[in-house]
Amino acid sequence: MAAKVHKAIQDAQHQGRRDLDLVEKTITSFNEIPQVLSMTHITRLNLAHNKIRVVPPAIAELVNLESLNLYNNYIVELPTSLSGLQRLRVLKLGLNRLDELPRGFGAFPVLEILDLTYNNLSERKLSGNFFMMETLRALYLGDNDFEILPAEVGNLHNLQVLVLRDNDLTSLPKELGQLKSLRELHIEGNRLQVLPPEVGLLDIVGPRQIFRLEDNPWISPIYEQLQIGTNHLMDLLRSANYQSVYARHVQAGGAIPPAIHDKSRKSSRRKD
Amino acid sequence: MVLDHHHHQWTASPLVGNYADDSTLEREGFDSHDPILNSQGEAYHEDCLVCAQCFRQFPDGVYYEFEGRKYCEYDFQVLYAPCCNKCKEFIVGRVIKAMNTSWHPEHFQCELCGRVLSDIGFMRNQGRALCHPCNDRVKAEAAGKYICYRCKAIIDDKPLKYKNEPYHPYHFTCSNQDCGRELDSDAREIREELYCLRCHDKMGIPICGACRRPVEDRVVTALGKHWHVEHFVCAKCEKPFLGTKHYEKKGLAYCELHYHQLFGNIDFVSGEIIEDICVTALNKTWKPENFVCWSCETPMDERTKFLEMDMLPVCKRCYERFPGELRRRLTRHYEAAQRIRPLAPESTIAHVSSEEYERSMVVSACFPRMCFREESR
Ligand SMILES: [Zn+2]
Ligand SMILES: [Zn+2]
Ligand SMILES: [Zn+2]
Ligand SMILES: [Zn+2]
Ligand SMILES: [Zn+2]
Ligand SMILES: [Zn+2]
Ligand SMILES: [Zn+2]
Ligand SMILES: [Zn+2]
Repeated sequence: MAAKVHKAIQDAQHQGRRDLDLVEKTITSFNEIPQVLSMTHITRLNLAHNKIRVVPPAIAELVNLESLNLYNNYIVELPTSLSGLQRLRVLKLGLNRLDELPRGFGAFPVLEILDLTYNNLSERKLSGNFFMMETLRALYLGDNDFEILPAEVGNLHNLQVLVLRDNDLTSLPKELGQLKSLRELHIEGNRLQVLPPEVGLLDIVGPRQIFRLEDNPWISPIYEQLQIGTNHLMDLLRSANYQSVYARHVQAGGAIPPAIHDKSRKSSRRKD
Repeated sequence: MVLDHHHHQWTASPLVGNYADDSTLEREGFDSHDPILNSQGEAYHEDCLVCAQCFRQFPDGVYYEFEGRKYCEYDFQVLYAPCCNKCKEFIVGRVIKAMNTSWHPEHFQCELCGRVLSDIGFMRNQGRALCHPCNDRVKAEAAGKYICYRCKAIIDDKPLKYKNEPYHPYHFTCSNQDCGRELDSDAREIREELYCLRCHDKMGIPICGACRRPVEDRVVTALGKHWHVEHFVCAKCEKPFLGTKHYEKKGLAYCELHYHQLFGNIDFVSGEIIEDICVTALNKTWKPENFVCWSCETPMDERTKFLEMDMLPVCKRCYERFPGELRRRLTRHYEAAQRIRPLAPESTIAHVSSEEYERSMVVSACFPRMCFREESR
């Protein structure tokens, strides 16, 4: 296997190619592929389906990198230097074991697509500047441990896709209503009972839009409209009547529904 | 003894002008009677000649006779003299009988503008006495019509707007000396002068397709119309193009960003405009080279079967490597979604097993469709 990896790297070097695919090569560490960190001309690096645990600080040497794919590895640690990649536009870290993000993670200057699906992240584990990434067009946070979505999400005014599927969200901030570019919102599989009325202002219902919200303990007015269709739900959210329903619900501060998923069996929790 | 200086005449003067059909102006009034000492040729002892009402002698011998009976001035007024509806005083002299009541001539006024109506005629409008101009204005307002700024009469047809006021078009003639024809409502105002449409068009001044006013400075020609530079805007964001490139579709113009955002020619991965062939899948558009498995980045073509996760394409091989509990959860959401909003006709099965889910996802909605970029300029 190691021989195959080196062949792939050599081929790429000889052909002067700008992208490097090392998918499913049972790589456990960058130490096995030290040459890669000196291939400063590459723009795309794909290491999906390996067993890498740690991304070394030297990854920042790949100054021309535009797309970095580390999907389905064992990553527990990212270097602070990562956000120094000045050209990185696409970063895929889905299906890993991240408990937290490094300091200053939000400093990427041009990041447009960030996939953090299926890790162990929550609002308490994000870097302080996470919601400063105004260039983000798509943010995938499905299958994590968020209970609260920080209000600063409203800063991400270029966001077109926001996925929060299968978290532990108990509420959403009204600042979601500021995401004027949003075309896809996925909030299925959370502990949500109400939606802020501001969600009714979003352009997320229509033939080119996606609004997924099943598997939440919705209050009956929302549940009932949902049965007829998302258009009806949006009408409800925009109604004066719903404003008072929502205000009363928030004021009453009733019991929060319990977590639904048993996350202990998530592979992101594994320590091996 | 006849007291000439006490001669009173009780009349209602006929009003001047045209009366509306509903005018209730009463033309007949009282006839006067001279207060005389010698009534109808009969002589009375002065002390036998008393008021039929108060039985007192007439002060200064002045009496008023009505229907054969004689009254003192006071009682005659109380009994028979009309009272002005405005000031509530007795009316001595000319009486205006109108609106089912009586008025001093100077007190019968237009209820809106206060003009005295006694000699100019009036119109009854909803229980009010109005002068003709006020009545016209009220009627025009009720009918949504304009009042001509020059002659103050109602404009029944389309008004001609000049310096923002409405006029009967026939008050004007074309400002072109060689034409001079009477104008109609199609006339156009250019630099505070009015021209008939023909002369206007010959002058070659374009009309803005947005505001319908003449474009006198820089003109933009697009979509078969002329526009003020600042009125030629993106149909989506309404920002003026100000000379930058625009895209036309179905008679509307768009800025580059909105054209591609609306008509789907932005590549989801690069954010760049797709120049030729584009793949449409999962509510997104993709450059063919960027339509790859989200996870392993293996290229896919229109025959590749793939599954969907969070509206991203995942090849079957990758999907099978996903943790089982994740796949089970995705299946559960899919089933719940099916109950709420069936995705495709073939997947209306109420309960599908996990295996069926994978299969139905493969066969339903998810084949990438090839489409070609629409003509634009
Ligand atoms: Zn008397
Ligand atoms: Zn009077
Ligand atoms: Zn008047
Ligand atoms: Zn007129
Ligand atoms: Zn003319
Ligand atoms: Zn204009
Ligand atoms: Zn625009
Ligand atoms: Zn794949």
